Amino acid sequence: MAVGFEEKALPRWSATAALAAFVLILFAGHASGQTPQTVQPPADLKKLSLDALQEIEVTSVSKRSEKLSGAPSSIQVVTADDIRRAGATSLPEALRLASNLQVAQVDSHGWAISARGFNNTSANKLLVLVDGRAVYTPLHAGVFWDAQDTLLEDIERIEIISGPGATLWGANAVNGVINIITKNAKDSQGGLVTAAGGSELRDTGGVRYGGNLGAGGQFRVYGKYFGRDSSALPVGRQATDDLHMGQGGFRFDWDAAQINQFTVQGDVYNGRIAQLGTNDIALSGGNVLGRWSRTLSTDSDLSLQMYYDFTHRNIPGTFVEDLGTYDVDFQHRFRLGTRHDVVWGLGYRAANDDEGNTGALSFLPAQLSQRWLSGFVQDELPLGTDRLRLTLGTKIERNDYTGVEVQPSGRLAWTVTSRQTLWGAISRAVRTPSRIDRDIFVPLAPGSTSFLLAGGPNFVSEDVRAYEIGYRSEPHDRLSVSVATFYNDYGNIRSLEQLAPPAPFPLVLANGQTGNSRGAELTAEYQVTDWWRLRSGYTAQRLHIRPKRDSTDRTFGSTESHDPNYYGGLRQSLDLPGRLQFDLGIRYVGSIANQTLPAYRELDGRLAWHATPALEWSVVGQNLLHAHHAEFGAPATRKEAERGVYGKLLWRF
Amino acid sequence: MALLRSIALVRASLGLQASAGTWCVVWGLLFLGGLDASAQTAPSREYQIKAVFLFNFAQFVEWPATAFAGPSSPIVIGVLGESPFGAYLDETVLGEKVNNRPVEVQRYSRVEDIKTCHILFISRSEAGQLEQILVSLKDRSLLVVGDGDDFARRGGMIRLATIQNKVRLIINVDAAQVANLTISSKLLRSAEILTASNK
Repeated sequence: MAVGFEEKALPRWSATAALAAFVLILFAGHASGQTPQTVQPPADLKKLSLDALQEIEVTSVSKRSEKLSGAPSSIQVVTADDIRRAGATSLPEALRLASNLQVAQVDSHGWAISARGFNNTSANKLLVLVDGRAVYTPLHAGVFWDAQDTLLEDIERIEIISGPGATLWGANAVNGVINIITKNAKDSQGGLVTAAGGSELRDTGGVRYGGNLGAGGQFRVYGKYFGRDSSALPVGRQATDDLHMGQGGFRFDWDAAQINQFTVQGDVYNGRIAQLGTNDIALSGGNVLGRWSRTLSTDSDLSLQMYYDFTHRNIPGTFVEDLGTYDVDFQHRFRLGTRHDVVWGLGYRAANDDEGNTGALSFLPAQLSQRWLSGFVQDELPLGTDRLRLTLGTKIERNDYTGVEVQPSGRLAWTVTSRQTLWGAISRAVRTPSRIDRDIFVPLAPGSTSFLLAGGPNFVSEDVRAYEIGYRSEPHDRLSVSVATFYNDYGNIRSLEQLAPPAPFPLVLANGQTGNSRGAELTAEYQVTDWWRLRSGYTAQRLHIRPKRDSTDRTFGSTESHDPNYYGGLRQSLDLPGRLQFDLGIRYVGSIANQTLPAYRELDGRLAWHATPALEWSVVGQNLLHAHHAEFGAPATRKEAERGVYGKLLWRF
Repeated sequence: MALLRSIALVRASLGLQASAGTWCVVWGLLFLGGLDASAQTAPSREYQIKAVFLFNFAQFVEWPATAFAGPSSPIVIGVLGESPFGAYLDETVLGEKVNNRPVEVQRYSRVEDIKTCHILFISRSEAGQLEQILVSLKDRSLLVVGDGDDFARRGGMIRLATIQNKVRLIINVDAAQVANLTISSKLLRSAEILTASNK
């Protein structure tokens, strides 16, 4: 423990192992050679024809992450290859690969995902975008993860930013932004068939076909079916919540003279989730999105994007929701003078929702139309030297509940050497009220006008002032390490105010809590040889939430935050002779004190055989260490994830 | 909805004690680990590709015989201003011969320093005085290449434009003709052509 962590903060061997791995990786890195990895030998490029040279992507995925290495925020990128090699079967499982995210499986279909604390099944401080489409619901500002899916083979990459991203991305990007980006149609040409099945993953398969329409236009269409077996109750019995989802979609990309790019894409989905003793939960929905982007010059481009999204969810006995969202976004980037890189944009969103209120739970009013109008501007400029770059910006957003919200940020990046970046940022971000905060009504008994819980008519935005310092280094070509540290000061955190204390009920939602959080995110990535890669990540955090002086809240944050003090993981990816690939990932998560949920370790593994370039067989084991283990939830309602093994066939034609 | 489930679970939060400043040591370790690392700069992939283009131009452009002192005199690729190529351009031409001529790389900080040169890459650092530079090079058989905005429109011969994440060639044919250079049709075919009519 030479590195000086407090003993009590340490989860015995797992944190020790993580730190040992870091130190090992760090010094092993120093000992090994200086083989250039990101630099292609000139001889390779010289072999290419003039036309072939013009077809090379300047920023390949690896290059993009190199570019990210200069970015003044905590960013991690999960690539298509990472997702495949981890054997992830859903978006949340893919997100487990980002060590700056807390990802906890709640039951067969529910996930609690957050960054830098405040985790919950409806974690509301994270903005999630799929190809530019926001997927959090204005109902509770969280994400229904069971309704978010795509053909995982068509994902190009997932960018995960921990820390506020509100200046560029807008409200809800309080603690982080997840950007899920699917491949351009030209990168998903030809046919693909997958079929998988096993003990937890059931009858899962997908088909995709991408073709060329000529004149620079390409398309793909896909369909998939996804089934997951029921999760387990703590006693080991099945929880009867098996999930069955079908989804289909398309994407069309037209690249007109390399200056104008048009994208039209859409998805539809339909599924059901079993419930014990009552009818299945039904969910369905779809979306269509169009985007036009135009390159004006190397330093300037603009884009216009529009989408419509509708979603339906019926939880028998609890509530029914229908939501339609229209969104328009415009963005323009240009160079001002020789020094300023400016981006600005405008956005408009309208959402209409209809809640089928039940006796158990109502939203008042049942139907609501909301409008959001936003604008942002951001300027990046060098301070004297190109090595020191300042990014200043603000978002100004108008919502129906609280009016105008201003979310500014200032970021400074210092490129110490070409292999080291030191960065810092100060930002303000808000989580604007959602329907639940203002409009929920839980009656004492069905039909009663007395209530257990009601939304607060004066509920305002939760806000954060965030301070970050980070450092990224690539000591040599095969090793990269990063640290991001943060201190967040939260105001107006949601509270449950007792109307007649000491009586525990009725309760009204208000902004009666404040708090702070601090922590550090560490990552290390080491390409030991061309055929062996190691990656590790470790996050430690502490949250303090307390009621304000005049508050009658007695929850002390226990309904808002369910957070371990640490979590981390170590993955290895090994290419073996005989066209075999072998991956192992271990993850460990600290205990969640206010759910009396114990710490756990779990292991995933994958062995794949590329029988031919077009055919891949794989066997994947998930949660191998325990028959079942809990990741989230209060003891009374807890469900547990089970050990699972599945086989998968992937065929390209 | 955890909020609802949690109504009955009103209790004080536990175990969130502070542990301030414990990251400093790890932090310092990583920082020191980075500081002693080599500061050798490799160019970005963009400039790796552009360096290879510069070399390729030697094979697809014909200079008048007067541009060379003798039949085996070298072809000189020059970089004016801050070089974005690091050592990559030197590695690219190392040991290469084009039409029996070796290929050399030279760097110039001022336009006056340019003596014998056949392909000149004008760095973005010189964008401010591009017009003056072009005027002073007017009478020489020199292939003038750059990658700044509007480089070809402003009188440069070949612009290595980065468009939509790829390097594209934009050639100002008129400017090359004035300089008495013959650009092979193979090169022209794979480029976007600027002429007086479509400028």
